[in-house]
Amino acid sequence: MRDLAHRLITYEAGSGKPSESMESSTLRVYEKLRQSLGEFVGVAGFQSLASRALTLARPEVPSLSAARVDADGSLQGMAAIEAQINMDNDRPSDGEIILIARLLGLLRLFLGEALTLSLLRSTWPGEIFEDRNSLHGRKV
Amino acid sequence: MNTQDKVKINKLPTGVPGLDEIVGGGLPEFSFNIIAGAPGSGKTTLAHQFVFANATEERPALYFTVLGESAIKMLRYQQQYTFFDPAKLPGAIRFINLSQVVLEKDLGAVLEQITREVEKANPAVVVVDSFRTMVRKPESDMDLQSFIQRLALFLASWQATTFLIGEYAEDELRDNPIFTVADGLLWLRQTAERNSIVRKLQIIKLRGQDSVPGLHTFRITDAGVQAFSRTFGLTARKRNPPRDRRLSFGIAELDKMLDGGVREGDSVLVAGSSGTGKSVLATQFIAEGIRQGEPGIVAVFEERPEAYAERAASLGLDLETPQKDGKLTILYLRPLDLSVDETMHSILDAVQKIGAKRLVIDSLAGFEMALSPGFRADFRESLYRMIFALTGIGVTILSTVEVDETFTEFPFSTYSISFLTDDIIRLRYVSIDGQLRKIMVVIKMRGGNHAKDIREYEITDKGVLILGKRLTNYQGLISGIPVRSDRPDQTEEPSLDTGIEHTT
Repeated sequence: MRDLAHRLITYEAGSGKPSESMESSTLRVYEKLRQSLGEFVGVAGFQSLASRALTLARPEVPSLSAARVDADGSLQGMAAIEAQINMDNDRPSDGEIILIARLLGLLRLFLGEALTLSLLRSTWPGEIFEDRNSLHGRKV
Repeated sequence: MNTQDKVKINKLPTGVPGLDEIVGGGLPEFSFNIIAGAPGSGKTTLAHQFVFANATEERPALYFTVLGESAIKMLRYQQQYTFFDPAKLPGAIRFINLSQVVLEKDLGAVLEQITREVEKANPAVVVVDSFRTMVRKPESDMDLQSFIQRLALFLASWQATTFLIGEYAEDELRDNPIFTVADGLLWLRQTAERNSIVRKLQIIKLRGQDSVPGLHTFRITDAGVQAFSRTFGLTARKRNPPRDRRLSFGIAELDKMLDGGVREGDSVLVAGSSGTGKSVLATQFIAEGIRQGEPGIVAVFEERPEAYAERAASLGLDLETPQKDGKLTILYLRPLDLSVDETMHSILDAVQKIGAKRLVIDSLAGFEMALSPGFRADFRESLYRMIFALTGIGVTILSTVEVDETFTEFPFSTYSISFLTDDIIRLRYVSIDGQLRKIMVVIKMRGGNHAKDIREYEITDKGVLILGKRLTNYQGLISGIPVRSDRPDQTEEPSLDTGIEHTT
């Protein structure tokens, strides 16, 4: 799941403007998930899932304690973990990957792999998921 | 107006096995339907089946969820059904959650959002699940009836077939103005009867369609909802004209008593007490059919197919080979909680699968006992419908029934199902010369002659063996305790009666 989260964030980083930070790439992944999932689970439904994902990620990434999920499902306080981003090699931080990975993990847990992939494919291009048909991708 | 001028209404497959037959061939395209029933009655599952059967990328389905079951849980559970194809989401099937707008705004806003989504997606199917939860806000500006009227008008214009799902109790069904708007009203109900759950559906209304009236049993399995039409899916099939071909039992003397054999398409009842050879006779009937190239079905309830075939083998009848060759199916039906219609569908499926010409039901008492207690009240009615349907397409049915042996009466059947049969063969014990011997008599043969003779028979390792002559030197044979008379036995051929039916 971390592998897939990493690929999604990397994809967004590649498709964003050069001036945009890795944090905004992560937020773009998060926002796209909020948009597509919110449509069918509702705002409150997505907010619950995201809050749970954040709670699951915090023990692994203490800096995420500054982040929070608002009532509309938006993610706030990500600036606090910006310091961890290694701008030199332009790689996403563990904290960002883990948060997205936990969110995807919850989707897989509740909806199963096939349906989760179906939903993600409607938001991101299919090639991101190619050669890695399983969500049980290798860890970064 | 001739038929060419009339608008043709396309019928969409419901995706629910058995339901197309009930609704008259499929649901009318662009119809506005309500699926009503108590919680847990299968409303959402039925709607999902329709959606998965009809949605395409070009003409998708929009599934609006409102308050109630969360969409994520609904998808979690619904994907357990075999009809659920995750690849159809979200391209061909889109789930849209309306709970926020319902909670924060009024029905007008809900209608606005639905309108917006429909105009954007151009869907073929729209589902609102559950529309009833939308009116639990007291400050709603628009009442539910107006909402539904406007929604129905809009969705019909946008060429969408629509389902509103609502939780309603039985007494809310009457005089409810909301239901007048709908083109179709499907009512699902489930009741607990003793230890069993009985699920039934009813098409209360369906404009423009000739649906099958009445309550139809349905079941929810891992394949979703499966409905069992009261007509057993045979309404579309033409009844064969009665033929005069005779089917042999493979017992020459019995065939003679039946004036050449059982008439094809008849329903025959073999009645007798335990041990009189009803099953033996039934086995010989089915084996003779196979020998003559007529596939057969045996529905057994009191012993397993292997035991049935072994017993046939002890009579010199090979039932193993025809089973392997697809000429014979022995069905063991002892589910205990099935409905009568569901059980009969299993028989009908088997009949149609191998093109059976002969069917044995051994026995009716076992059949009835295999049913859920709640369905036993419908047993005779359903049996009548099945026999009528099957004999109508030329299948000849032989049923066995156990009757209480008394030595003062001569009942044909304790189940009062004699009216279901064209022909009745009665087997019974008689006490003669210090022995318990067996006699056979043809009681009734609709529309044909049959022997009036009372014949003695034995069960040997070759099956039923009718002894040479009718018993003329006894009086009161059918009482079971005959009295010897001085008249000698006769040896002439069996005498046939005039075909006048006996009152049963």
